Amino acid sequence: MEKMKIKMLYADIKSDIEVIENELEQALNSSSHLLNDASVHLLQAGGKRIRPVFTLLSAKFGDYNIDRMKNIAVPLELIHMGSLVHDDVIDNSDMRRGRETVKAQWNNRVAMYTGNFIFARALQYVTSIENPRAHQILAKTMVELVNGEVIQIEDKFRLDQSLKDYFRRIKRKTALLIESSCELGAVVSGADEKTARHLKRYGYFVGMSFQIVDDILDFTATDKQLGKPAGSDLMNGNVTLPILLMKDDPQLAPYLTKVAVAGLTEEERQNMLALVRNSEAIKEATHISNLYLKKALKEVEALPKHPMKKKLRDIALFMGKRKS
Amino acid sequence: MNATSITQSVQTLKSNILQHVHHRALLQNVGQPTLQEEQLFFIQLPFLNGALMNDEHQISAVTVGIVHASLTEHEKVKEVEATSKEQQLLVLSGDYYSGRYYQLLAQSGNISLIQKLSEGIVNRCEHQIRVYEAQKRSFEQWIESLMVIESELIAQYYDVYGFASYTELMKRTLTYIRLKKELDLLKKGQPCFLYKAFAADSIMMDSIIEALQDHLYDMERQLREDLTNIDLKDELKHSIEQYITF
Repeated sequence: MEKMKIKMLYADIKSDIEVIENELEQALNSSSHLLNDASVHLLQAGGKRIRPVFTLLSAKFGDYNIDRMKNIAVPLELIHMGSLVHDDVIDNSDMRRGRETVKAQWNNRVAMYTGNFIFARALQYVTSIENPRAHQILAKTMVELVNGEVIQIEDKFRLDQSLKDYFRRIKRKTALLIESSCELGAVVSGADEKTARHLKRYGYFVGMSFQIVDDILDFTATDKQLGKPAGSDLMNGNVTLPILLMKDDPQLAPYLTKVAVAGLTEEERQNMLALVRNSEAIKEATHISNLYLKKALKEVEALPKHPMKKKLRDIALFMGKRKS
Repeated sequence: MNATSITQSVQTLKSNILQHVHHRALLQNVGQPTLQEEQLFFIQLPFLNGALMNDEHQISAVTVGIVHASLTEHEKVKEVEATSKEQQLLVLSGDYYSGRYYQLLAQSGNISLIQKLSEGIVNRCEHQIRVYEAQKRSFEQWIESLMVIESELIAQYYDVYGFASYTELMKRTLTYIRLKKELDLLKKGQPCFLYKAFAADSIMMDSIIEALQDHLYDMERQLREDLTNIDLKDELKHSIEQYITF
């Protein structure tokens, strides 16, 4: 169902998304059998390709040319893919999108080399773009992305963190790459400054909403929908919005104490999930996500008249209401 | 120029690199990045031998050092059970340094070096991962892989700035140093690249050690010959000789 919706949303740029898919396949081609296997493994795991989609849609507001735009859309997706491979080492995750992770199928070191290979391929690709501003945006994004991850590790199991801490973290961890996808689409296609600024802000707000929905789904979706055990974020020590909103609930307290010390049994995990799912925190978190969506839609309104405005609106709404 | 000024130049580069990758949380948890003195020496070699260094060269030298640091951090990640906070931050320190090198070159608009270094990283990763592939390779092929791992990035950097006349010497010396370290680890029965490379082939380690020793003797002889033919200041030749004393 979700996949069908995505296909419909991408319909206008279907042939260009196919170009990106083919380019991704080529970019991951290597003289090493193992790197090829790991890359095929990643490509087959799929993904929503939201970053390239945002780049291409944003580029429609400038001088659109897929042969030029692929040189920024492909690296953005590669950077996302590479960071997932390394994240799985950090989170000790064996499953992602219902498939074994690179680190689980081979080992951590293979995952490190694979991630580095993908990052380097991304940079090889992007160097066909001569605009120095594009490189500066992308480089800053890469650095901030890591900073977000470092903060996440430092904040692990830290229940005294504020909502501000959480928002700052997800901004760096997720929103920035989506923000940059939109901004880079605009910058590389030569869209005017004002349009680029609105698209950048749109990307930021969508990215924030996207991550909050992700954090909600980690509790509300099923293991099957997630392709990994529900509640994994908390089990890995990542204190996300739903938990921050209900951390003082006395019923939740024993789970929070235990998860940090010894982890939860399967029965405890199920009970904890039931508690969170039935709490007001999910509604509150959804409300906050919707506030970001509204801000994103406001940015769309401020864009010049263009057929792609409706698409940006639809995708933002889809991202905010998705179920997996 | 004397030995002190060579050391000083290497130390200055080291300080510059550390300054550009400074990160409070990473420093606290994983310490400073590992920078190999011999790599830094070869990054500086053309300038120590008289080439004029401008601002672009200076930043470029720093970024080559940062890329080495980045990839070395990832070599410290355990194959299994990398679950401690330190291990998690090792993954991120490598990624952070990698982002910083790109950021520095993007700021200075040096797209051609970004292109060459990323090409070098791809090549290096392809050789690093070989020890996990099932395919059997010869002793020479494994030595070739180690040569790529040790020297590829500096070779790409030399290429950008027209210092290719130093490439062969740099490649041989850095490979020699690495092989010497590999030999020491093999003798102690400790894990290393070549140990992994040959472990699956059930070849006796003693015969590998012997072949490696022979190879090192040949390399040393070749390197000494190279040093007599290359246009290099005597102090620099002397520094390289110190690296290759078996």
